[in-house]
Amino acid sequence: MNSADAQAILERAVAPLDGREFEAVLGGGVSELTRFANNEITQNVSERRYVLSVRVARGLRTGRATGNDLSAEGIARLRAQADAAAALSPEISNLLPVTARQEYRAVSGVDSDTSSLGPEGRAREVSRAVARCRAAGVDAAGIYETGFGTIGDYGMLGPLAIANSKGLYAYHQGTDASFRISALDGTASGWAGAESHRASDIDGEALADRAIQKCVGSRSPAVWKPGSYTVVLEPAAVADLLQDMAWISFGALAVQEGRSFLTGRLGSRVLGENITIRDDAYHPLHQGCPFDAEGVPTRPVTIVEAGIAKGPVYDRQTAAKDGLESTGHGLQTPNPIGPLTSNLVLEGGKGSVDDLVKGVERGLLVTRVWYTNVVDPMTVTLTGMTRDGLFAIQDGKLAGAVRNFRFNQSIVRMLTEVEAMSAVQRIEGVVCPGLRVRSFHMSSATEF
Amino acid sequence: MSDLERIALDTAMRRGAGYCDARLVDQKREDLTVKDGQVASLEQTESRGLGVRVLVDGAWGYAATDEMTDDGAAACAARAVAIGRASASVLAKAVRLAPEPPQTIVWASPCAIDPFEVPLTRKLDLLFAVDAALRGVRGVTIAESNLTFVRKRQRFLSSEGSDIDQTITRSGGGYAATAVSGNEVQRRSFPQAEGYHQTRGWEFIESVPWVEQAPRIGEEAAALLRADQCPAGKFDVILEGSQLALQIHESVGHPTELDRVLGMEANYAGTSFLTLDKKGTLRFGSNHVNLVADATLPNGLATFAFDDEGVAAQRWHIVRQGMFEGYLTSRELAHTVGDDRSRGCVRSDGWHHIPMIRMVNLSLMPGAGSLEDLLGDTEHGIYMETNRSWSIDQLRYNFQFKTELAWEIKRGKRVRMLKNPTYQGITPVFWNSCDHVCGEAEWRPWSIVNCGKGQPGQVADMTHGAAPTRFRGVMVGAGYDE
Repeated sequence: MNSADAQAILERAVAPLDGREFEAVLGGGVSELTRFANNEITQNVSERRYVLSVRVARGLRTGRATGNDLSAEGIARLRAQADAAAALSPEISNLLPVTARQEYRAVSGVDSDTSSLGPEGRAREVSRAVARCRAAGVDAAGIYETGFGTIGDYGMLGPLAIANSKGLYAYHQGTDASFRISALDGTASGWAGAESHRASDIDGEALADRAIQKCVGSRSPAVWKPGSYTVVLEPAAVADLLQDMAWISFGALAVQEGRSFLTGRLGSRVLGENITIRDDAYHPLHQGCPFDAEGVPTRPVTIVEAGIAKGPVYDRQTAAKDGLESTGHGLQTPNPIGPLTSNLVLEGGKGSVDDLVKGVERGLLVTRVWYTNVVDPMTVTLTGMTRDGLFAIQDGKLAGAVRNFRFNQSIVRMLTEVEAMSAVQRIEGVVCPGLRVRSFHMSSATEF
Repeated sequence: MSDLERIALDTAMRRGAGYCDARLVDQKREDLTVKDGQVASLEQTESRGLGVRVLVDGAWGYAATDEMTDDGAAACAARAVAIGRASASVLAKAVRLAPEPPQTIVWASPCAIDPFEVPLTRKLDLLFAVDAALRGVRGVTIAESNLTFVRKRQRFLSSEGSDIDQTITRSGGGYAATAVSGNEVQRRSFPQAEGYHQTRGWEFIESVPWVEQAPRIGEEAAALLRADQCPAGKFDVILEGSQLALQIHESVGHPTELDRVLGMEANYAGTSFLTLDKKGTLRFGSNHVNLVADATLPNGLATFAFDDEGVAAQRWHIVRQGMFEGYLTSRELAHTVGDDRSRGCVRSDGWHHIPMIRMVNLSLMPGAGSLEDLLGDTEHGIYMETNRSWSIDQLRYNFQFKTELAWEIKRGKRVRMLKNPTYQGITPVFWNSCDHVCGEAEWRPWSIVNCGKGQPGQVADMTHGAAPTRFRGVMVGAGYDE
């Protein structure tokens, strides 16, 4: 949906009525995904979906209604439902008026070749990757996904456009392409993935080769005892751990409620001197949305700089409480979660993951991690599994596969023990490097 | 409902589909949250759209649209056929659907009091009463309570002649008290973590003692800050029902999904240790372990008349007296395990997503006796209540769970409250260590409403009935044992 069409819908949704405030967010787009397994396409889907969410405020009372009927009647119904809910809702003492008009930085995240790729284009790329796996005698499984708009994981919709009764209007459209491939041989597996806003950046064959190499190398894994080891974490593993850390720690509400390791420690050293973590929608590898669900421009935020805690991301409500301005990381108003990071960046170094491996006398290379979950929020202790390629490192070289481990590791502690970093890449929605970590706790073994 | 689904079906078949089903879905939802004395969400959501699934030259295509016009439906069907044709270019073997007789039926889940007709003020009054009771306890720093109501009406048409109209209404909610002090965050939830739901109307909400239990929940959250750390080592562990429900979900439900077993989820959720050779041969658990899949369970979250392929709801054993017997299957995959009919496990989370194998209700059948009898019979053990975190490997062997609270049991008595309890194990070893399941009076139909699977990701809900159960010699304390 282009900006003019979006604006026409939103203007109708926020049309003035008896002094009420209106705020409307439109999300959606087109998402297409080709899925393959056992060296054939097993699922191939296309979804076109737009959703309008209308909020009405009557003083300190507010209500919201959301729907996908974007006709004039549909919009009128949403307005009426939201208004009825607002009338019955108790007052929210710290409810803020809708956001005033704003200026936004331009972000160029649209690639027309990506939005027009189609099922044939995806099938061609998948076919090339599958051919490599078939030739190597392994099974390929994975996805090739392209999107235009804001349909995210599990069907969640980010804001495509937002408007309110104070004349605020913002619109952002982006494209996305991501390719993930697993190569499998019995319980041996290897994995590789890439993502960009340009489909032309995706090379399915190269990713297949990488997954095959890891799978073939994972046959006959050695059994190591649980314990603490020096590890090299590839960027996909780092991204997963950072996302969990950000989810529970980097939002201002978590800090204000005392649930974050940053609580009471702003200005203090919390991580290693070589660790700088930012949220930056304008990073060239992110090209993210320049506004949040409250219509506030998203600012780059330095959360930790050279190991010193600088501050969390804010929405308007948490910012007001701390006497600050929102950083543009708000979700829809009201919500119980508070602001969240949206474009995480862990600054990296130079060189490759292979360079990190060269510096290890005895340790493990972790391709990626799986099913991470929080064990202890204040130390950001996470548990999870290694997956799709766990390799021994001996004297700076890979020395065969190792059976997968479960880990229980404080990520705060891990980020005080980083010895070296590779160059960054974007993976799993995070821009981050691979890391060499002095000590990482593998707590129990599994059967493969 | 209009006949958009008929237009889609006819268009797909005319354009060369060998099979087609079309689902027109109307979904309605209401979410209310109260946090620390304020409304934290108050939202009504409606969604209507059409999903068209086709087989073209034996390959799948799926397209979904919210353009609710004749042209929109026809274009959606045409897109599904084009996608199916592209899929056929990378196909090893044509899809073969297990036969299923066509059905024409209108069905609705029981709903005595329509939750969407209950005044908003009544719902908010309940949440504010819970909130006040939680915050009335000294030491509770965060109180959050919620109610959710969902109604999904779906008309399913297939090119084989089925016309199935189903309406399912779900009601439920839950609350949590959080206590924060220094470097510690403790939480207690009621009735279970992530909320307690059934396919009933407002009468279900009225059947739960929400406000009455709130002071206890708040007091336990505050008490956890002062409790001893759960010790590490091997212990006999008794799991309360809602924690056991998640254990069933992760270590029995997911590994028995046949699409996982056959590698179709390998890139994302993983595969399964329950390979086809294990059916009928693996001793999955002890003789006490009887696990039954049941899409007919009264008020279950995965209870329906027909699944999203038009297959009738069924009940069957996954594990009988410890022996592994069967899988969760679809029309596409039933033949791979020698079945001539699907078990009816295919669902989607809306019109916009393709149906796939999802867990139906899956329960551990009750044994005998009460929880107090079981605790009384335990010399030295740890009784763990209410899930706090969960993780399991991609073949579903190595799991680790944390619960909100535990009690140390000595000579049959609760002797002290313990904080941060975790336990870890290997699935078949764990289920073989089961030596007692409590009886019918302790059995509850616990809920899962956040089960993620698939690419694109879909969220499904299901019920796992369970009673408190004891497992011998379980590793306790991971994450706190360094």
